[in-house]
Amino acid sequence: MIEFLHQFLASPVMRESLEPALLIALVTASVSVMIMAHRLSFLTVGVSHASLAGMGLALTLSLPLLPTATAFAVLIALLLAFIPQRQGISEDAGTGILFAGSMALGIILISSAPSSRVDLFGLLFGNILTIAPEDMRWLWLIAGVILAVLGIAARSWWSIAFDSVTAAASGLPVAGLRLLLYGIVGLTVILCVKLAGIVLTAGLMILPAACAWFWGRSLFDLWLIAVLFSLAGTIAGLLWSYAYDWPSGASVVMALCGLFILSWIIHGRLAWLKQHVLKQ
Amino acid sequence: MNAPVVQLSNICLGPVGKPILEHINLSLDAGHFLGIVGPNGAGKSTLLNIIAGLTAPHSGHIDLFGQCLRRFNRRALLKQVGFLHQLHEHQPRLPMRVRDVVAMGMPSFANPLRWRTLSVQPIMDALALVDLQHLADTDFRQLSGGQRQRARIARALVGRPQLLLLDEPSAALDSARQDKLFRLLRRLCDDNGMSVIMVEHDIAAISSHVDSVACLNRRIHHHAMHGEQIPESIWQAMYGEHIRIVAHDTSCIGCVPDISHAGHTHD
Repeated sequence: MIEFLHQFLASPVMRESLEPALLIALVTASVSVMIMAHRLSFLTVGVSHASLAGMGLALTLSLPLLPTATAFAVLIALLLAFIPQRQGISEDAGTGILFAGSMALGIILISSAPSSRVDLFGLLFGNILTIAPEDMRWLWLIAGVILAVLGIAARSWWSIAFDSVTAAASGLPVAGLRLLLYGIVGLTVILCVKLAGIVLTAGLMILPAACAWFWGRSLFDLWLIAVLFSLAGTIAGLLWSYAYDWPSGASVVMALCGLFILSWIIHGRLAWLKQHVLKQ
Repeated sequence: MNAPVVQLSNICLGPVGKPILEHINLSLDAGHFLGIVGPNGAGKSTLLNIIAGLTAPHSGHIDLFGQCLRRFNRRALLKQVGFLHQLHEHQPRLPMRVRDVVAMGMPSFANPLRWRTLSVQPIMDALALVDLQHLADTDFRQLSGGQRQRARIARALVGRPQLLLLDEPSAALDSARQDKLFRLLRRLCDDNGMSVIMVEHDIAAISSHVDSVACLNRRIHHHAMHGEQIPESIWQAMYGEHIRIVAHDTSCIGCVPDISHAGHTHD
């Protein structure tokens, strides 16, 4: 085992992938708490799939991939915040429409792009092992923005998730803060796509908080536990990926799924034991 | 002389033919405890929402603490207001301790620059007011409906507001707890000079505690001060001709013309 870890750390490819993977794990775990609190899981799935259109657009117009995809994902997330309010369409229907439409546009654009420029498998399922230095700078920038905004707005978002009417009555600009949250979800999706791809991104953005939900009793607890689960899942996933030559994103999401099931079972057993002991 | 805590001038909301509220004029001084009664759909909750800055009236003027309520000063003014909205189905989903729920009522809760200054003592004091201090570290989701409502009341009180807006706070509380709550509010008005506007259905339950009762059904039909009687014609104008007034106790703000301070409405 120790030899395996030594080999893993000695591998330059894996060593280079650790920094972006752990950065992504930290940011997604932090945002995942708000995604769970505001029930934005489907929005996350929608925005991540819709970002394919942004990538298609970047490839067709020869624009830089990550900045274009970032702008597009944030735009889609903000549209998803606006459309249901303005037109009386339910949020899940709005997400479904934009999700399917953008995905279709993305597939058409990418299929028309010169095939040598497209790593479709990488876009769909992610590949943290091929991250370029310029991508890394972009990731740090996005991560910095997300964490800074989270630091400032986390309690306001938490308050809105608990009771939006009382939050508004306390003077919080609820509509503006909601838009900001949707924008941050869009940004986080782009951050994740490099590791988990369009299809698996939602897993990284939902599972850490889902695991923590069993154990946390306050916003800080939830954040800390979600980050620990996310880091553990990412490291375990990368180790699996290295050991069995599995795709890195899928391995990380599988590890997080495993942690979720484990959490669920242990929490259920503890609750049963507590009840059982209390009865006696 | 101090400006009124709340001054509503000619508040109107809704289309002309079918108004939700029309020509509401109301003034509330510091330390005053006002009860609002009226039938379902009378606009009671809407009026509270207007005072809390959640709903903008179509016409009229709202002054809070002597200042006109506007977009730019809304946040500063509302920091002095505690608000408890009507309890609909509210199954809490977020994992939170009771003390964290109450902490959300602190004016500095959402301000990242003042997190470190958030003190535990006001939270425990607010919980003590509603007898929940022993449950401070309990998961809010595990409380009963009545305990959750008391925690929400503590949240509204924790910032020591100058004005408290309560929409049916006694919902989910048993009659002993209701009475305890009304006594607490009375004490806060008398001792701290807090003003309270409380929407309630049961005038008999609140009448011995409040300073005045406003009878609302789209407009304020009558504003009865403590000791004043409310003519039966007012009840009929609000609830319809079929209403019959029955006296139950002698402490109610007048419900029956010939029985002083006594009454209760029945369909």
